[in-house]
Amino acid sequence: MSPSPEKDWQGRLLILDTGVMRELVLFHAVQVLRFIKLKRDLRFIKNQHSYQKCVQFMAGFRHKTTSPSVVAELHYWIRKTDSPGHLKLWNRVYDEFNNMNIAEEVVKLTDMDVNQVARFGPVDVSLIEIARRNAEHSPCILTVENALCGVCEKANIRALSIEEVTLTALR
Amino acid sequence: MGVMASNLTTLPPPHSKRIEAWIYTVLNPLIESLRREVFLLEKGNLTWRSYSRKCEYLQPISEYIDFEHHPNYEDFLTDSLNVGFEERFSSHDQAVVHVENVAGRFFDTIMNEPKFRDLIKRSLEEYEAAATVEHPSLISMQQELPKAIAENLVNRADALPAHYAMHKFWQGHKDSLHAMVSDGDPLHPTREQTWFRAIDKTTADLKACSDELLKKLLDHRSHLCRTFDIPFAPIHLTKSQSPNEPIA
Repeated sequence: MSPSPEKDWQGRLLILDTGVMRELVLFHAVQVLRFIKLKRDLRFIKNQHSYQKCVQFMAGFRHKTTSPSVVAELHYWIRKTDSPGHLKLWNRVYDEFNNMNIAEEVVKLTDMDVNQVARFGPVDVSLIEIARRNAEHSPCILTVENALCGVCEKANIRALSIEEVTLTALR
Repeated sequence: MGVMASNLTTLPPPHSKRIEAWIYTVLNPLIESLRREVFLLEKGNLTWRSYSRKCEYLQPISEYIDFEHHPNYEDFLTDSLNVGFEERFSSHDQAVVHVENVAGRFFDTIMNEPKFRDLIKRSLEEYEAAATVEHPSLISMQQELPKAIAENLVNRADALPAHYAMHKFWQGHKDSLHAMVSDGDPLHPTREQTWFRAIDKTTADLKACSDELLKKLLDHRSHLCRTFDIPFAPIHLTKSQSPNEPIA
């Protein structure tokens, strides 16, 4: 499934996965704040061109949301880095959340299907559940994981990988 | 000068571990940090934050050194091979404090300026009237908007990334907001114009200081590496140094 021209996506709800937030935080740290060493940690947004494609795509969505589980995963990533940099990474995460005016929607563990949680993990299932709850807003999940895209496709939920977004030309 | 200090008769030997420690844990991090400072200052980006009233990425010199390496930093400062750096570091740190203070004065002045709030109110009304997907409503952010705008002015923000909620608003109104604090009679500037110009002056002073210090550190590293036959960077990275390095 490839992203349609920008206009087709307008007004929809964008649901962001952990990997996307991590890439945005890292790219800003590398490009704007010049933390060159972090460049090697970038996996998908490796240059200004792919960053522009990604943010232009995201700009076409009026509302953006995520799950608190994503924040927990960001914590898991940050705590694996050396502690002197934790505050700076968290500041970047806060900036990205504030600047995108991103919402967070809680999905209780007990509201999620236990078989799905066992199979895909609570983060992916919570994002799918947020999409289901907001079906009237034509939600789209943006992720770095192709596996999540496959699960969403089966569940009839629109999902795109960041690779598709950065490799597809948007008008 | 401390008891470990070098002098002409007791120069450290070639491949000295102490000097290697200075290069890898003091000089290299400082050179990298000052390159970042110069890069940010060239754009006028002070990375100043209203909540901390500090420049997030322009820091006193000692804060660029990992805490566990501070003994090496202290040794570096006390050895006669490195004479003059303590004073240069102190000048840099004073310039950082000065720029932070001036940024804070500008921020306080403009936040208490009714004309600034009126201009934001009018700009927001104009923006909201044209609200579309490309112009996402900022009503939910309106309490924080003056603070965010004042920070953008301090940090000389130009274009904001397209996925930021304020992207279109800033694109459409930054010129009038900027004009309010930068245009006017140079002989009779308003208080906010005076502080806005002071930011430029203190930023230029800090950049000159950082530029000079960077050159001195590069020269000094080169001198130590060549004199004591030490590579400029460690040749063998250990596994723990390669993945997920700290951001600073």
